[in-house]
Amino acid sequence: MLFPTLGFLLFFLCVAALLAALGERFTAKKAVLVIASYYFYAQWDWHFCFLLLFSSALSYLAGLALGATGERRRKKIILGVAVAAHLLLLGTFKYLDFFTLSANQLARLLGLERELPFIEVILPVGISFFTFHGISYVTDVYRGDVAVCRQPLDMLLYMSFFPQLVAGPIVRAAYFLPQLARPADLPIPIAAALVLILGGLFKKVVIANYLATGLVDPVFAAPTSYGGPDLVLAVYAYAVQIYCDFSAYTDMAIALAALCGFRFPRNFDQPYRAQRLREFWQRWHISLSTWLRDYLYKPLGGNRRGRFNTYRNLLVTMLLGGIWHGAGWKFVMWGALHGGGLAVERMIMPWLGGARSTSFAGRVIATVIVFHFVCFAWIFFRAEDFTVATLYIAGFAGGWSGGVHQAGPLMVGLIALGMVGQFTPVRLFEPIAARLQSMPAWGLGVTAGIAVAAINALGPEGVAPFIYFRF
Amino acid sequence: MPAKPAAPIRSPTVADAIPAALYRGRGSPRRVLAMCAVGALVLAVFASRDLPSWSERLAGLPYAEAAQRLAAEWDDAMEALGLTRPHEALRSALKQALEWR
Repeated sequence: MLFPTLGFLLFFLCVAALLAALGERFTAKKAVLVIASYYFYAQWDWHFCFLLLFSSALSYLAGLALGATGERRRKKIILGVAVAAHLLLLGTFKYLDFFTLSANQLARLLGLERELPFIEVILPVGISFFTFHGISYVTDVYRGDVAVCRQPLDMLLYMSFFPQLVAGPIVRAAYFLPQLARPADLPIPIAAALVLILGGLFKKVVIANYLATGLVDPVFAAPTSYGGPDLVLAVYAYAVQIYCDFSAYTDMAIALAALCGFRFPRNFDQPYRAQRLREFWQRWHISLSTWLRDYLYKPLGGNRRGRFNTYRNLLVTMLLGGIWHGAGWKFVMWGALHGGGLAVERMIMPWLGGARSTSFAGRVIATVIVFHFVCFAWIFFRAEDFTVATLYIAGFAGGWSGGVHQAGPLMVGLIALGMVGQFTPVRLFEPIAARLQSMPAWGLGVTAGIAVAAINALGPEGVAPFIYFRF
Repeated sequence: MPAKPAAPIRSPTVADAIPAALYRGRGSPRRVLAMCAVGALVLAVFASRDLPSWSERLAGLPYAEAAQRLAAEWDDAMEALGLTRPHEALRSALKQALEWR
């Protein structure tokens, strides 16, 4: 069930009706949200609801066990077992096929005759996200950053809450669980949620979908059939597409959570205006980059054990971040590029003159360099496999005289529109939402209905799944 | 023996996506429901062209046939009232833009 569909609208209408009918009964509301979330998840494959339930039970019981012991060594063992169990689950469903194929390829190279049996494992939607939620909870309890969750209902809702279940943002236990302790004492920011939903719909349905079908998909499917200009424009288009696709999803997730009475953290902050690669990661998929920083980079030693170890930790963190996105060498390469880039940037930071350039020209040049580095890495991320990515890059060397074949004026316009959005005043939506705040509910409903109908008419037939659903 | 005080819980270092200034007004679950219901109604009027194709995806469900018939009848009624014209005008404008070279 995708957000921008009529099916989801009917589903959310039912949820909203139940929440409204329950009034002040907070526990009953949480129960409704858990049932709704499992129903939402079951729309992909109901069998995987048991996996989600198992992951929630594992986190819950590990939390109770951590709370019941004061001994540091035992706590460490419990944390280790819980994290290992979560990772085993993720590894089985997400990486088993990749490792089997890689091991068999290596065996063939070495001339070995025996091969590991290949089991085609179906990837459960959202497993990467709810696994990270589970790890976040047990680690936060271990560190004392969050109180032990003693209400099974709260744990079920934390792990399964439908707005973030399949593609994030990754909401920390220390951020979300306190919200389940008592009802929010603030009003629901309906106008802000509406603006986020409409903006998200436009980014996904119009910008991302057209760029995907009109330029990115055909060029990446056969890069050797296109010349340099189309290849370059398709990479720019993918940079805009993936931003509009993923940020649209999180905008809608944030808005839906707000309409249910919960707060979510910010996940994007105009990432392509970054002047340093480090800054890019402070603006892109913030919930993942901070998760990797706090649960991987810092435990590895962060920047506390000398320069060489810092570079190594950056590389390891980003390599694992790349693998988190998917099982494949192209993701390993994407992670290695970012990890290597971050390490090199740190190495040359004294020559760069600090975290931000002071002159206007310096800022422009820095932004252009970082953007193009990120675009280069996106080639590996988007290409079907590592070989296609190398063919794509090789294509830049020739075919510049043939002109543009695939990228029409509308595609170029959509790329430009997506890029302009990166440089508009920060939080443009705030004054718009503030203006809508005084409207009555029916007025907001009419505005929403007309705007959604217009966006729907502007978009192509059907809705492509969000890119991050497959991670 | 006095109870051991609970360890202080550190607040996470993440920013809310919706700034505090926008948590004003009288937003309540009932108002959310009202907005969604009115929005769905307006959408059904102005996006009726997509209802038949959406109802086709219900194939196999017990009420699918009735839903498909209702969606087609509703779309015909909206067309008779001229309410499908904005949808068609936007679609054809975008089609032209896509074909423009």
